[in-house]
Amino acid sequence: MLQLFRKERMWEKRPLKDRYDVVIIGAGVHGLSTAYYLGKLGVTNVAVLDKGYIGGGGSARTTAIIRANYLTSQGVLFFRESLKLYEGLAKELDFNIMFSQLGRLDLGHTDSSIFGLRQRAEINQLLGVDSRMVGPKEIKELVPAIDLREGKTLPIIGALHHPPGGVVRHDAVVWGYGRGAARQGAEIHPFTEVTAITQENGRVTGVETPDGRIEADTVLSATAGWSSTIAKMLDLELPIVTHPLQAFVTEPLKPFMRTSISSANLHVYVYQTDRGEVVVGGGVDPYPTYSQRSTLQTLESLAGHALEMFPFLGRAKVLRQWAGLCDMTPDYAPVMGRVDGLDGFLITAGWGTWGFKAAPVAGRSIAELIATGKTPDLIEPFGLDRFRKGKLVNERAAAPAAAIH
Amino acid sequence: MTKLKAAPRLDPHPTQLIDRSASIEFAFGGRPVQAFEGDTVASALYAAGVRTFSRSFKYHRPRGLLCVAGRCPNCLVNVDGVPNVRSCTEAARPGMNVTSQNAWPSLDRDILSVLDRFGPLMPVGFYYKTFHRPKLFWRLAQPIIRRVAGLGKIDVDSAHPAGYAHQNLHTDVAVVGGGATGISAALSANLGAAVTLIDDSPVLGGHLRFDTTSHSVVPSVDPSPGFEVAAELVRQVRSSAGITVLSNSVAFGLYEDNLLGVLTTDRLVKRRAGRIVMATGSIEQPLVFDGNDRPGVMLSSGAQRLVRLYGVKPGETAVVATATNEGYAAALDLHNAGVRVAALVDTRPEPAWGALPDAVRAAEIPTLVSHAVTLAEGRAEVKAAVVQKLEGGVPIGERQRLACDIICMSGNLEPADALVRQSGGLDIPKNVYAAGSVAGAGNLAQAVDQGRQAGTLAAGSSSELPLAGSSPPERAAPFLSGKKSFVCFCEDISTADIDQAIDEGFDDIQTLKRYSTVTMGPCQGKMCHAAVAAISARATGKSLSEVGSTTSRPPLQPVPMSALAGRVHLPIKRTPMDRKHIDLGAKMVDLGPWRRPFSYGSPQDESISVRERVGIIDVSTLGKLDVRGPDSPALLDKVYTHNFSGLRNGRIRYGVLCADNGTIMDDGTVTRLADDRYFITTTSGNVESIEEWFKWWMAGTDIEAYVTNVTSGFAAINVAGPKARETLSKLTDIDLSTDGFRYMRSKEGVVAGVPSVLLRIGFVGETGWEVHFPGEFGEHMWDALMDAGRDFGIAPFGLEAQRILRLEKGHIIVGQDTDIVSTPLDSDMEWVVRFEKEDFIGRGGLVAARDRGLTNKLVGFRMRDGTVPDDGDPIVDRGQPIGKVTSARLSPTIGKGFGLAWVPVELAEEGRNISIRIAGADVPATVSLTPVYDSEGKRLKE
Repeated sequence: MLQLFRKERMWEKRPLKDRYDVVIIGAGVHGLSTAYYLGKLGVTNVAVLDKGYIGGGGSARTTAIIRANYLTSQGVLFFRESLKLYEGLAKELDFNIMFSQLGRLDLGHTDSSIFGLRQRAEINQLLGVDSRMVGPKEIKELVPAIDLREGKTLPIIGALHHPPGGVVRHDAVVWGYGRGAARQGAEIHPFTEVTAITQENGRVTGVETPDGRIEADTVLSATAGWSSTIAKMLDLELPIVTHPLQAFVTEPLKPFMRTSISSANLHVYVYQTDRGEVVVGGGVDPYPTYSQRSTLQTLESLAGHALEMFPFLGRAKVLRQWAGLCDMTPDYAPVMGRVDGLDGFLITAGWGTWGFKAAPVAGRSIAELIATGKTPDLIEPFGLDRFRKGKLVNERAAAPAAAIH
Repeated sequence: MTKLKAAPRLDPHPTQLIDRSASIEFAFGGRPVQAFEGDTVASALYAAGVRTFSRSFKYHRPRGLLCVAGRCPNCLVNVDGVPNVRSCTEAARPGMNVTSQNAWPSLDRDILSVLDRFGPLMPVGFYYKTFHRPKLFWRLAQPIIRRVAGLGKIDVDSAHPAGYAHQNLHTDVAVVGGGATGISAALSANLGAAVTLIDDSPVLGGHLRFDTTSHSVVPSVDPSPGFEVAAELVRQVRSSAGITVLSNSVAFGLYEDNLLGVLTTDRLVKRRAGRIVMATGSIEQPLVFDGNDRPGVMLSSGAQRLVRLYGVKPGETAVVATATNEGYAAALDLHNAGVRVAALVDTRPEPAWGALPDAVRAAEIPTLVSHAVTLAEGRAEVKAAVVQKLEGGVPIGERQRLACDIICMSGNLEPADALVRQSGGLDIPKNVYAAGSVAGAGNLAQAVDQGRQAGTLAAGSSSELPLAGSSPPERAAPFLSGKKSFVCFCEDISTADIDQAIDEGFDDIQTLKRYSTVTMGPCQGKMCHAAVAAISARATGKSLSEVGSTTSRPPLQPVPMSALAGRVHLPIKRTPMDRKHIDLGAKMVDLGPWRRPFSYGSPQDESISVRERVGIIDVSTLGKLDVRGPDSPALLDKVYTHNFSGLRNGRIRYGVLCADNGTIMDDGTVTRLADDRYFITTTSGNVESIEEWFKWWMAGTDIEAYVTNVTSGFAAINVAGPKARETLSKLTDIDLSTDGFRYMRSKEGVVAGVPSVLLRIGFVGETGWEVHFPGEFGEHMWDALMDAGRDFGIAPFGLEAQRILRLEKGHIIVGQDTDIVSTPLDSDMEWVVRFEKEDFIGRGGLVAARDRGLTNKLVGFRMRDGTVPDDGDPIVDRGQPIGKVTSARLSPTIGKGFGLAWVPVELAEEGRNISIRIAGADVPATVSLTPVYDSEGKRLKE
């Protein structure tokens, strides 16, 4: 309680040095969580650089849903660990990240969507993730406000219920990791854009910024939606296409629902925050772009589809809409680890619409890889070389509503 | 309950909107309130003595009218069940039911206002630093925090308020803002272009509508009062045929390529404009001092609106605090309305000059220069203003207490540029012009002049001259630090909070916004955006331009979800034979938008009747594409893995479409009807995306082919079974004999009098024809076939029987048996891939997949008995998932459970044992690489 009245700085401004053991590009949740876990492993000569402000990319735009009810065993094991880390994260960071584990429902409106949900339920249960199929009666008990009328297009016929799923205060996670990393000695340099990555004889040696050149033993790109632009600095082509994803939030309303709800058929997900706002998001927009300007068309369709489930929300007013960038991979799974032929360079990317929920385990795993040189088993399936080896991970269930292309 | 007693209104005046002859009554918290036609809910309530309109979000502090212009969060109420309605812009209507929000048991006695006493215990970032240790604490605290959160209550049983229509319109020039500037721009632009003038008020004219001071807009014309100037401008607009006026309409969003989202009272208008003139004016800012949120402290323009628009006297004694000349106008209006102005407190160091200050002096209103109000005393009502002298922006010396019941404050006039800033940067986007006070115009003459220039430019074709860049307003208003000096009224953020957040390291405006939540409330930053930037600049020693601003996001004003949704239209698709299925008592099932017969009773019986006699199934939902043109063979060779340029006319070939990486996207049949014409079927759900896919690969090439989606134009029935030939023969002259119409051939002809295309294919594994014909003959064809087959025991079969039958043949369903990583190679369909073709979409991926070998394979399996796994059950090995069942059914042919499953390639051998986890138990099964039914494929060719 006492710390409430102490004005403690989260992080200090420090002069940029010309050499670090590790340079992390991107001060979002992934970059900062990696820096934090590096510190725990004793690697503290670390700089986290960002072209904008701390946590300003995907981390600022995520709708911050945490869950582990994935489809593939690789995915389930990975996100199960992330969920576990999130559950202990407030204590770990001594910062309330406000993880509200109010459960999650993935609705099925058609035979084929129920089929997909059932597969997830089976795999989840086999791998110890709490998730099971529920029928309309239980759905109504969990979310009394939902419209279960039959006879309309896309009636709700069942759902995958995932009780430990929830929503986190996303900025708090970023700041908590940032503060934790800074306290262990890492430096955070916002507004410090990496303009080039230097290499010698197939080995990455550092980065260039407008403030000067920085040498580093290891350079990690943790830039999510902008990963392709960083890779381009190394003439590296990633199997990643960046699409925008849009969301909106309403004015605060008195609480009327607890569980977060997603419908792949309606391309929409809805939850109510602790502050009372209703957050509505969708699948990625069908066109690739780096623009983060939101569109009226998507706002209309998101609103329309949300009203299919909650007709009374027609009276709620939209306060703000925004767009974020999603670095989509062909198999809807992330890309983590080394890059063949580029010693000293690592990547954590392909975070699509599932990046925020993975940040703790991804950061910890990448940190372990940097500190020990050994790829942890949990992230082994997600190497960049899987695209060459054809070992794709079908995590289509990752995205609440994925675009077909 | 007793009626709220209304105080008498001020004398009538031309600026007033109320019609005193039309009295109306509505309810506030159950008590009747008297109002006039033209009143808003807020003006009527204020006239009836209501001072507390709402309780604040965090501390539940009483809040009263602030802006009276629909910008701030202070007057939010619930109207007829709709939460968060801005009462100051909501027209009073007879019988409306208005209730307060976020207060219990009542607005005046709100139990949670105790939170205000704990204010010192709840500094910025409070929640981040509390309740998280031990872990259980958050679990206990969170539900309580949740319960007290939110503002308005929404009735979950209320229906979707229908009625908002959507309009897509275009205009040469859109002018946003119907004040003097906007009107001038519209009039000038209209000389050469069609103009739409968008204004958020019920009447045009902006604040000039209630301005009584004299203006000389045109040098040669005598000065006249502002409201008369406004009336003249409005008259000119009304008489201009080329100007469309949208009143009561908020331009809430500026989207890519000059698309304006406009919300009117009953429509959402999407107006694409060639050029846009932003004449959005400026927003008077609050001053920041302790207690600046008390009911009775309002913007000076708010007080003026009450007086001038509604004839409501805001109070008895006022203190006017100002940082510009605006306060002088307000002081005069109040004085003339009979309010005693105890003092006009000007924060600027030098006495003001000009007509307004002269008039104030003439009216003998006491004026204190270089002074500031530092405290508003009182709780639910203002009792007094404490005034102190300023030196270098800091209050010093004696505290002077001035008794009053209202404090009118006027900070800087900030450009209302949020709409322009939605484009992302600080630069004005292309084809957008700013004019008037949003662009820094200092007086009416300048504003009108800029409006005319902007209008002329917007109507013209060339000149891209940027209009006057907005000159930063003078920053004379000091920001006094205090725990109850509110910067942000929506979220209860004080200057002390902002200072602390900056101290903690949130020193750039973006993280400051997110940590403190300033600018994130219902006012969208309109009341606080400038102040937080200025405080941030002061604390960090940066200039305002270095501090920058937070991103401005649509919508500018909150927009109801029902308006955005419009009339939701998710139609159910029914086939042309739908009524026949209903008459037959079919159990229907939803498949995406389609509704199809699942079964007519017993899927097992239906399967048997197809195997033994003849069955018909409505397959109208199949996606159907007509591809024509000289290059259609080349197009199909490009997108399909198979070869189609070599397909002879009248022949059919199964085709698979792959994505770039070689994974399966869709499958179907391709029939060559002529050298330059193909008829293609796709899976029901994919036809739109496949059509797009074809067109995507043609775009930018010189392939000449025309792809038409004819899905809804054609109906289709599959007639299958040993008696299919005899049945169909009764209806057509086409030679259907085994040699006359061979398997995988097509013919065009007449069936039951209807021109049809017949495809001889065998999805269900029997002799059969897919008959495609114009949809309007759906019921006729269905009846004709049922009649023709009666003697042979014909029976309709549904989707489920079809699934059983095709599964017995090992025919896959894309999306069911394959997923987004499946290729034709691991799906046991290597024969559809023509590697010898030089190129096709997915070739690279498939070559790589072939070279590295398979890891998993799609195989058939059989159970030992009638046990049937569910689709999706996992294949397990020592408790770990190693594969999955994609389809499983009970086979009518062998009487056992069977199906298709993905297994590791080492298990994909005839006779290998596998375990399937069924309802928690591991059940043995055997891999089988041959179809359950007719493994040699004779039946379908007979």
